[in-house]
This record gives sequence, C-alpha cells and structure tokens, in this order.
Amino acid sequence: MHVTKEFKKKTFLKQLLLGLHVSNSISNPISIQQRKNSIKLSADLAMAFARGRTHWTHALITKLGQKEENKSTLKGILGRRYEILMARYSCPLLYQKVQRRKKSVTSYRFSYNAQKRRSSALKGSCVRVSPSVVARNLENRRTKVLKRLVPGGEFLNGSSLLSEALDYVISLKAQVDMMKSLWRATQVSSSSNVELVPSAPLQKKDASCTIANSEE
Amino acid sequence: MSSRRGRITDEEMNELISKLQLLLPESRRRNVGRASAGKLLKETCSYIKSLHREVDDLSDRLSQLMATMDDNSPQADIIRSLLRS
Repeated sequence: MHVTKEFKKKTFLKQLLLGLHVSNSISNPISIQQRKNSIKLSADLAMAFARGRTHWTHALITKLGQKEENKSTLKGILGRRYEILMARYSCPLLYQKVQRRKKSVTSYRFSYNAQKRRSSALKGSCVRVSPSVVARNLENRRTKVLKRLVPGGEFLNGSSLLSEALDYVISLKAQVDMMKSLWRATQVSSSSNVELVPSAPLQKKDASCTIANSEE
Repeated sequence: MSSRRGRITDEEMNELISKLQLLLPESRRRNVGRASAGKLLKETCSYIKSLHREVDDLSDRLSQLMATMDDNSPQADIIRSLLRS
C-alpha cells in the first residue's frame, strides 16, 4: 500500500496541475462555478489516474466522461488520448444495470413498508419488530448509502464493497492532503511576497520543497 | 458478485474491518473492540461525505486563487516550474 501511495502523489500532482492549467485557459469569461467544477473534475481524474485500475476508478472515470459539461475540460486535459479513453470507459451496459437495480431496491422498500402497515394494523399500537430485524434493516439502509457514495458501488456486495470503500477512502484522503499542500504552498509564497525581490528565487525553492517533502 | 472471489475468510473480513476502523477519525476513542457493522458503515459513509465536502471546499479556494492570479505572480511561476519537472 505504501508503494502505491508513493506513485500516487507525483502522478496526482502532475495531473492536477495540468487540469488547473486547462481550467484556467478554457474560455476567458468563465464563471467561478464553472472553474470550480473544472478543478474538481481535474482532481477526481487525477485521483483515478494516480490509483491505477480498480473497480471504483473505472466507474469514476466513466461517470465523469458521461457528463456533457465535462467534455471540453476532459478534451483539454487528455488531448489525443480523449477518444481512446472515452471508448474504453463508456459502458452502456453499466447504465442498464443501474436502472435494473433501482427497480429492485424500490420494490423491496415498498414491500417492507406494506408489511409494516399490515402488522401495525393488526396490532393496533406500536409495531413490534424484533431487534435483529431492525439491525438488519438499518445495516441494509446504510449499505445502500455506501453503495451510492463509492463510485461503482452499486454492483458490489459485502466484502467487495467494503474493500473498495477502504481503497476509495485512502485515495480520497490522499487527494485532500495533496490539494491542501498545493494550496498551502501558494499561500506561503503570497505571504512572503512583501519581501525584497532578491529573495524571490528562494521563495520558489521553499514552496517546491514543501510539495516535494509532502511527496515522501 | 462476491462469488467472483470465492468465499472470503473470516480472517480477511476481520482484517478489512479493522483497517477501515483505523482509517476512520473517530475510531481513536475508548472502545477499541469491534464496532458493530452498522456503526462502521455509518462512520464510513459520513467520513466519505466529509471528504467530498473538503474536496469541494478546496476546489472552491483553488478556483478563487486561479481567478485572482495574474501571469507574473510567483504562484504562477511555481506552478509552471512544477509542471515542467
């Protein structure tokens, strides 16, 4: 896991910076919201590339590529690779599966509620549901939420879902840390802007050292 | 879907759960014993949501930074030199 992290940081940073550069230069009258979405897209793409091929990275890139508003940024970042990558990461079958799943989930919920109504009608007052059933239902509900949060989680169950979630959390944390270091590096340079010009090269070195150190 | 990997052993499951618990920020409190599955799921979900929010917030800050950055500032130079390396 440690080796994966090493690899991840440099790749991530490069991809993110490329994405930032593209976000800045797409179209001049660009709203803050658009730029922010573009940056977020770059960060997610960078995270997926840095992690390599896993179930969730595949699902994430597929999702990102499907949105119409992302296309121009993606083309800018990926350049010639755009066509190839989009061909690899577009899976109409995936989408159909999601639709089918959604139906079964709602039908389950409907039948459960109907059951509850029936039993409460019979018993009059509060519904007596055994604690194990309650616990199981709670777990099912929470599993559903997790499936929604982890990209590609809708198709996984049990231990695979947990291991994907674990991997995703690790990568998310690394993404947040890297973005924070990048942000802090720019803050360092701007706060020491007031110093004399001759020290300017030193400032640059300090900032790039900060980033390099966080890559260790 | 899990049949693809065959039966996962109890040991592997325990390892997975303990790793997840280590990651979650609230796991560093008194009860170190195996938290219930429900609690683990809930904390994982809320942690993922909070990480998403942080990314959102950082993207906001970075986009504001990019908006105010002009081509000659030291920040631009740093970013350019990092891109080249």
